[in-house]
Amino acid sequence: MIKLMKLELRKFKIMGYIRGAAIANVIIFGFMMLMSYSPEIDDTMVFEDFTVVFSMIDVFTRGTFIIFAAVMLGRFVIDEFNSKTITVLFMYPIKRQKIIAAKLMVVIIFTFICIVISMTFLSTVYLIINAFTHFVPGELTMTLVMQQVVKLSFNALSACFMALIPLYFGMRKYSLPTTIVSSVIIVLLTCANNGGFNLNDIIIIPILLAIAGAAIGYMAIRKIDQIDIN
Amino acid sequence: MEHIVRTNRLTKTFQGQEVVSNVSMNIKKGEIYGFLGPNGAGKTTMMKMMTNLVKPTSGEIEIFGEKLTPDSYHFLGRMGTIIEYPVFYDKLTARENLELHCDYMGYYNKKSIDEALELVNLIDTGKKKVKSFSLGMKQRLGIARAITTKPELLIFDEPINGLDPLGIKEIRDVFRMLCKEYGATLLISSHILGEIEQIADTIGVIQSGRLLREITMAEIHEETTNYIEIITSDCSKAAYILTDKLQLNNIKVIDNQYVRIYDQHIAQSEITKTLVLNDVVIDSIHKRSSSLEDYFMQVLNGGGVRD
Repeated sequence: MIKLMKLELRKFKIMGYIRGAAIANVIIFGFMMLMSYSPEIDDTMVFEDFTVVFSMIDVFTRGTFIIFAAVMLGRFVIDEFNSKTITVLFMYPIKRQKIIAAKLMVVIIFTFICIVISMTFLSTVYLIINAFTHFVPGELTMTLVMQQVVKLSFNALSACFMALIPLYFGMRKYSLPTTIVSSVIIVLLTCANNGGFNLNDIIIIPILLAIAGAAIGYMAIRKIDQIDIN
Repeated sequence: MEHIVRTNRLTKTFQGQEVVSNVSMNIKKGEIYGFLGPNGAGKTTMMKMMTNLVKPTSGEIEIFGEKLTPDSYHFLGRMGTIIEYPVFYDKLTARENLELHCDYMGYYNKKSIDEALELVNLIDTGKKKVKSFSLGMKQRLGIARAITTKPELLIFDEPINGLDPLGIKEIRDVFRMLCKEYGATLLISSHILGEIEQIADTIGVIQSGRLLREITMAEIHEETTNYIEIITSDCSKAAYILTDKLQLNNIKVIDNQYVRIYDQHIAQSEITKTLVLNDVVIDSIHKRSSSLEDYFMQVLNGGGVRD
């Protein structure tokens, strides 16, 4: 399994994706800086306390990397069916389930790592800068940080399974646009921040979506050795 | 002789349509099996069923003496294939594609990649991305990929598509070499008779999903015997004289215009002499040999005679 995953990484040149993730981080950070400076223009405070800072970081990284994962699913899974390279893969003496599972694992693990690293990176850098500029009023307590760490790691975990949901729509016609559009819809649902209210904060919703994602991943694998590849 | 591939009453239905029906074919170890048939006859579907990409609706396939089940895959490690057209990871180079192939196959002799590339004359293009390859080059690379792991059974679907005449000859030599030196068994499909004729040991003719004939080249040469054709205005009389006076049994009257004599022992001059002596007007008489093409046209037209 590990070997198959390594082959996938080699085949799709994972370095390109790592670079993409890094660029996304820089852009998110730029956004946060812009938002921190906006109060001086129109008198509304975007970051009224540290909870909001963390929830912004959470929403931005999850949103970015759920779509990122959809792009990866498109390349790793759906494009293989589209370009018929899947026929080559399925003619290797390897169980089909294992081949697809390896692909999904790569996407899940890569997404999770990306989200965790991005959250850590953005929080650290932002807090360091804040220490000098004092964008955010209030005090950063240890309990708050611990609370947020738990919440954000839970969100990261649910997000990387949620990211598999677009696979269901994409696999029906092996369409890359469908995959990405459905991931955007998921992001709109779970990452929209409407006046402090976020659908993802109702604990049952991310859990259900993550279960749905895992189920879709499982369904994609389960019957794969029974189907005809044309 | 041992059989590498056997299918037994193999049938595949796509949306109510039988694409392959009741095909029982046998490929012997170490031979080149030519799979001949017009476009859309079911050749590719047959090959896909042999590689388990497509599951048969009914019937059985036996490869390397083992029955195929929908989830068997170990046998694929002993096969090299090009199905439909050669597909690669476009963004990788030719060599990277082959290395990936070896890793997936669990084959770790990296020297064989160079050997395979050399065999198909692509050694200089190993560093180029496959995206920039022409169809002919992809075809060669596909063959190289199939043979790097030195498999026992090679399945090539239309391997000469897109190759230039020189390339066709080279590839033909490669096929012969694989068969003779490595003892590989080859299944090659084509709709071009001339190609198959030159390399195959056994030919299977498929049309509309039915295997019409499975025959060795040696048998074909026996069947496509020479005959003498007489054109005359009075066929029945000529036929009567030929059977009566010359004791020829193996004659055939076609369209009341031609008489064909398949008996080999009789000289043309004697036939002419006898017919003239019996007042049969001969418009023309000549020796003919039905070509292989005629033979296949006959088979494809449902065994009926042309003309």
